[in-house]
Amino acid sequence: MKPHKNIKPPSRPLRFLRWFCDPGLLEDIEGDLLELFQRRSEDDEGKARLQFTRDVLFLFRPGIIRSLTSPFNRPTMLKNYLMVALRSARRYKGHTTLNLLSLVIGIASCLLILLWIQDELQIDKFHAKDERIFKVWRNMHQSSGEIITTQGIPEPFIKSLRNDYPEVEEATLIGWDIDLVFRKGSEVHYETGKYASPEIFSIFSFPFLTGDPDSALDDVSSIVISDRLATKYFGDAWRLHEDLIGQTLTIGSSKKDFNISGVFEHPGSKSSLEFDWIIPAQEYIQQNDWVNSWYNGGFAICFTLREGAELDPLQEKTLQLINENTNYEADERIFLNSFSDNHLHSNFENGRPAGGRIQYIKILFVIAVFILIIACINFMNLATARSSRRTREIGVRKVLGAQKRALRQQFFVESFLMSITAVVVALLLVFVALPYFSFISDKQLSLDLSNPKLWAGLGIVTLVTGTLSGFYPALLLPSFRIISSLKGDVKPPSSGIRLREGLVVFQFALSILLIVGTLVVNQQMNYILNKNLGLDKENMVFIRMSNELAGKMELYKTELLSIPEVKQVTATSGNPLSYGRSSGSAQWAGKDPDEEVEINVMSVDDDFVGTMNIEMLKGRNFDTELATDTSNYLINEVTANIMGFEDPVNHELTLWGLTGKIIGVVKNFHMSSMYEPIAPLIIRNDPSSTFMAFVRTEGDVQQGLKSIEAVTKDLNPGYPFTYEFLDRDFASAYRSEMTLSTIVKIFAIISILITCLGLFGLSSFSAEQRLKEIGIRKVYGASVIRIVTLLSWSYTKLILIALVIALPASVYVMLQWLNNFEFRTDFKVIVFVIAGAITLVIGAVTVGLKFWQAALVNPVQTLRGE
Amino acid sequence: MPRPHLGEFEEIVLLTVAVLDEGAYGIAIKDDMEERLERNVSMGAMRTALKRLEDKGYLKSKLGEPTAVRGGKRKRYYTVTHAGREALQQVMDVRKRLWQAIPYTSLDFRFI
Repeated sequence: MKPHKNIKPPSRPLRFLRWFCDPGLLEDIEGDLLELFQRRSEDDEGKARLQFTRDVLFLFRPGIIRSLTSPFNRPTMLKNYLMVALRSARRYKGHTTLNLLSLVIGIASCLLILLWIQDELQIDKFHAKDERIFKVWRNMHQSSGEIITTQGIPEPFIKSLRNDYPEVEEATLIGWDIDLVFRKGSEVHYETGKYASPEIFSIFSFPFLTGDPDSALDDVSSIVISDRLATKYFGDAWRLHEDLIGQTLTIGSSKKDFNISGVFEHPGSKSSLEFDWIIPAQEYIQQNDWVNSWYNGGFAICFTLREGAELDPLQEKTLQLINENTNYEADERIFLNSFSDNHLHSNFENGRPAGGRIQYIKILFVIAVFILIIACINFMNLATARSSRRTREIGVRKVLGAQKRALRQQFFVESFLMSITAVVVALLLVFVALPYFSFISDKQLSLDLSNPKLWAGLGIVTLVTGTLSGFYPALLLPSFRIISSLKGDVKPPSSGIRLREGLVVFQFALSILLIVGTLVVNQQMNYILNKNLGLDKENMVFIRMSNELAGKMELYKTELLSIPEVKQVTATSGNPLSYGRSSGSAQWAGKDPDEEVEINVMSVDDDFVGTMNIEMLKGRNFDTELATDTSNYLINEVTANIMGFEDPVNHELTLWGLTGKIIGVVKNFHMSSMYEPIAPLIIRNDPSSTFMAFVRTEGDVQQGLKSIEAVTKDLNPGYPFTYEFLDRDFASAYRSEMTLSTIVKIFAIISILITCLGLFGLSSFSAEQRLKEIGIRKVYGASVIRIVTLLSWSYTKLILIALVIALPASVYVMLQWLNNFEFRTDFKVIVFVIAGAITLVIGAVTVGLKFWQAALVNPVQTLRGE
Repeated sequence: MPRPHLGEFEEIVLLTVAVLDEGAYGIAIKDDMEERLERNVSMGAMRTALKRLEDKGYLKSKLGEPTAVRGGKRKRYYTVTHAGREALQQVMDVRKRLWQAIPYTSLDFRFI
């Protein structure tokens, strides 16, 4: 036989063959193919290659293809794997518990956060026509270049929408929240609701319990109420037999009767539009003809587009609609935006939506991912650390003929067993924790087990954690040599240790990020709540006055001041800490009449500055003795700056056609949220337009409130007495921030906890491995402290590295967040020191504790076997 | 116990293995079949048949010594088992009986 040329068959088909072919047949088949190939290639190599490929392809058929090898095909092996997994889990109870615990907490936290996010994303999405519902916004372009966005739209705009634009299907006016007195028999309460067009119930899908949503508001004296109100005024029985339609409620100070034409189910937290009653907007317009003007914005407007119609052309056509009808006196442009998007993107910047709650959702989503990663890393680290105890078992299995593939399968079966257990326990934990979490997050959360997304999500989590944690031991351990693994002197390769250390650093970096985040959010919240707002909000009660009571203001004030607990009283046209009545009509010497400046206008009585403890910077306060002061004005610093006078005092100011003098400048006080700069303000001395009484109390507040209630009821019979504390009302404006900061705090603590669990597991493992070393060191006279510090250093080092990495990252992230606030706390170095110290101390204690325990063991016990 | 069915192609493979006796391995079987049948035999078809025959218990195999020609891969030698021989015998008996049952004239085409 002549020597064969060394020709290689095409490698790709060969690799394919090796991949699919039954291992039992492979060697022979491959040999046959090679023999054939060599014979053929003596004639024509190219043809031989082709034939080789063809042969391989023809071999790809059942009988030759390997069977899908999984332990599930061999129930006996699977049973063995499960048994061994359970045995080793039981043998190292502490480790198994630690391992499961961190994964359970991690998955449960992640699930809770995802439920929260899911709930947020669903808000306002329940309307059947959601895709076609839009809201109208008004962008007021100021001369300073700033754009103020408001939802108050001139009422004639809706007529134009309905009549001139065929692509608009229906449109509705939606008024502000209004408190009206409701009377039915002995029940007298203030109830919050809105005036709206009849179309509101065909545009939005608020479910009706009785009545016809399409015609409920057709009659001007009809009212639609929520199930809550129905129960309150007609008792629980209304649901069963009593037909509420046609029943009347006496409403408002004019005591007009309204006929109930429908009852809707209160949408609760799944709707951003909340109200307990709706009265036709026509009723309001009839009494307030000022709204019927292109110059005023009395209502918000929502509309539906016809199916298939585009928004953009309508936006284009309506952009200048206000300007066209007001002769471009002020530059006010229309902006149309999806209704349901507004809940998550409610902040406007330059006339366009720019963030809002969506930021919280992103933050929490990142936290959820962080926690899951931290938990998975734990699981992986502990599994790898523990698995090196099993080298002897692997050795025996190998001797008995186990292939690497089988050993890998074994580790995957084990890790999946753990991850499935963890997911099941986590699901139970979520059930238990859900009511508490709903309470904290101010939501009604529920776990919908019929939701396929939930199961898909759980499946993914199981798969990811199972694969991640099984991956490393499955890859590494079977490759140990039999002899050394049987002898038990296998040193895990340093790459494994490096990987573990890297992961620990990563975990700690994430935890530090969360801790810094928590501290900064906390600090900012305290800053907001305790900031000097420019007025004194402590011990201040405010009372919304009925028209009747406001008419008797002088008497009311005198009566209030006679109560010993009442120090001062003032009346205003609104809450100064949350004020939004403005006008663009103010004129002063030197102002270009075309210049557009929107200035807040507040009406108060003489005692406003004194009662509120507002500082006077220039000039004087209103003087009760001077009758002329009723036409004079106070301004704040921002207005003074806009006017640009060196000393604005005694300059003339015209507002709504009334000219008076500026008699003083007050220090700025906050009139809206901390996200925004302080607005300009003009204060008018006009007690007749006030409807809120502010009472400064001292001493026993409860006693004072009782007396105030008595006085109020006496002067204002037939009205319920309601009051609010100014500081609490202010804090409630930051409720979502508070909720967020609570949630972030909880999960930051959880993340640190999980990280420490992992560290505890790792250090106890390494303490166990180094028992002999510790024994020898003790024999040579090392003190316990020295041993603990020596051994702890290897982990403390990791935490320090994590600190170095995480701190700059957290500075960046938190500065981004703080930038949302116009008024924000300084970024203090102390935050890092605290965050660093917390992590370091917790980490060191965790590690030290375990090593301390190990170092106390008598060396005789550990070295006896040598 | 009913005997597993023996397909036509399987029968030929089984017969070839019997013919080759000691030297029945992949290529040799393929070559022999191609020579006798005067047609191409694909590796895939032959391999599947061999595997099926082995599963049915008509063939048994063992690995030989590695040779340089085949890139160090060992050959798998096939031998017909007792059951295989019985199966062949039975097929032949069936055929034989069928041949004998044919009326003499219908095959006597020389007179057509």
